[in-house]
Amino acid sequence: MQSQWRGGSAAPPQARQKRPALLSKRDLQGWLLSFPAVLTMIGLAAVPTIIVLVGAVSPTGLSKLAELSQAPLFRQTLWNTTVWVLVGVFGSMILGFAGALALQRVGRRFSGMWRALLLIPWVTPTVAAATAWKWFYSRDYGILNLLLQNLGIIDEPVSWLTNTDIALFAVAMVDVWGRFSFVMLMISSGLQAIPSERYEAARVDGAGAIRTMLNITLPGIRDVVFIVVLIVTVWTLNSFLPVWIMTKGGPAGATNILPVQLYQYFQTGERAALEALAGVQLVLSMAVAALYVSRARRADA
Amino acid sequence: MTRVQGKARRALPVVIAWVVLLLLGAFGFLPLVVMVTTSFKPADQIFRIPPEFLPSSPTLDHYIGVLTDSAMPRAIATSAAVAALVAVVTLLIGSGTGYAIARLRFRGASGLSVALLLGQLLPITVLMLPVFQVVARLGLIDTIPGVALAHLTVVVPLVTWMLTTAFSGAPIELEEAAMVDGCGRPRAVWNVVLPVVAPSLVAVGIFAFLQSWNEFIFASVISRSANSKTAPVALTDFAGQFSTDWGATMAAATIVSLPMVVAFMIVQRFFVEGLASGAVKG
Repeated sequence: MQSQWRGGSAAPPQARQKRPALLSKRDLQGWLLSFPAVLTMIGLAAVPTIIVLVGAVSPTGLSKLAELSQAPLFRQTLWNTTVWVLVGVFGSMILGFAGALALQRVGRRFSGMWRALLLIPWVTPTVAAATAWKWFYSRDYGILNLLLQNLGIIDEPVSWLTNTDIALFAVAMVDVWGRFSFVMLMISSGLQAIPSERYEAARVDGAGAIRTMLNITLPGIRDVVFIVVLIVTVWTLNSFLPVWIMTKGGPAGATNILPVQLYQYFQTGERAALEALAGVQLVLSMAVAALYVSRARRADA
Repeated sequence: MTRVQGKARRALPVVIAWVVLLLLGAFGFLPLVVMVTTSFKPADQIFRIPPEFLPSSPTLDHYIGVLTDSAMPRAIATSAAVAALVAVVTLLIGSGTGYAIARLRFRGASGLSVALLLGQLLPITVLMLPVFQVVARLGLIDTIPGVALAHLTVVVPLVTWMLTTAFSGAPIELEEAAMVDGCGRPRAVWNVVLPVVAPSLVAVGIFAFLQSWNEFIFASVISRSANSKTAPVALTDFAGQFSTDWGATMAAATIVSLPMVVAFMIVQRFFVEGLASGAVKG
């Protein structure tokens, strides 16, 4: 894992002073072997990304963005996206963290079993999962309302997907559902990497559960938590299917988030709007992604 | 007495841990259980108020309907073809890069790794229009190769990244020994490294397959007809605005999910290990 980052930076200083040929044999071999993947990524990812960026910052793109930003729908979409990301990230972090702590306590055999079981929501195709959730959320025929009523948590059936105050949270819950086990696995491996001597030292010092958590556990997983927060933020920011399958952005734009708006512009053929807004989505995602990559590289070195 | 207390104190967190896991399990499985039970319910039971949890008299009608009288069988065949194509092509494309980054510390390797990471995080809704235009220019709209080509956009960075990890994991001493013995690098790789990493390559291929199988956005904009409609796209056709046949829809959703869950169970261990070293799914 580590070797890949050593790349060019680990070259001894003497070699750099000698200023070798533009491409050494090894460089040439490396790029020849990489050629097919590099070509594919240039054609399908790099060039399209540049086209989107150029379109977004062109005079027409910018004036279209200025025009869009006047509309209430635009502000609502940005606000929804913010809430969506916050709920999605916090929700999956909290559930994932709780799950990771619990996995540590149930013994090796059971933790393996739970790990595998809880990953199933994550591998279920999102289209199928969101369709199942839509039915699960149904006001009159859904099992969720039946369950909550039987448990005495609610008196009346809740309109999970048609109430404008609730829909965004209900849909975000499906995103959390598909994501928390990833967080759980990552934090779980972070917890396992904390040396047990530290816990013993804390016990010898007479530290209680809370002190141990604050002084040993949390600092021990700080790096992995940071990385996971960043990657889950990008994924949630780019997430599209739960909303599209369950509400298509409705009711009355209550669940309209950036990726859904982009898809709708594609469908209605509003190309200028699509290009302008795609720039916003791209900059937001890539800013967080760049943070993630720099952080992941540092953790790796 | 103190010993009993001590035991009770240690047992308490274990109890809490089990409660947490059972609650997470309920959250994780309830919607899926409802999906499966609904798919076995007779049509007249599905729209009963109040709803009932278990099928009164389980029936296979919905599955028979979906498999004999819907667009699903063809869509599943299409998905399988697209995903197989994507898996094979990405392995062919990515292996060279994976090996080069893992073994030849060439100039630019670390920049290329960064590109692989960023490539996995690009929003598909942003690339949808330009990639659609590439596919259109090649005359591949509404074809299986067209959908597969679009899928390469997201699958190639992911698979190449995973291949880098796979090659890094192979013991370098093996190929060094082979090269000392007079083998050239290509022969050393072919005879010594490939057999060692073969299981990882199969696992990575399965991930490529899964990624492609699950993809919706590219598939939905590139397919126009049954020619190239994939299973996830066909599944959305089941749920009409007002008149959804939920029994058939849940049967179709179960059929789309099942191969993924089974395939995942097969490669689970690699999956969990691979997770610790980088992103796997968006």
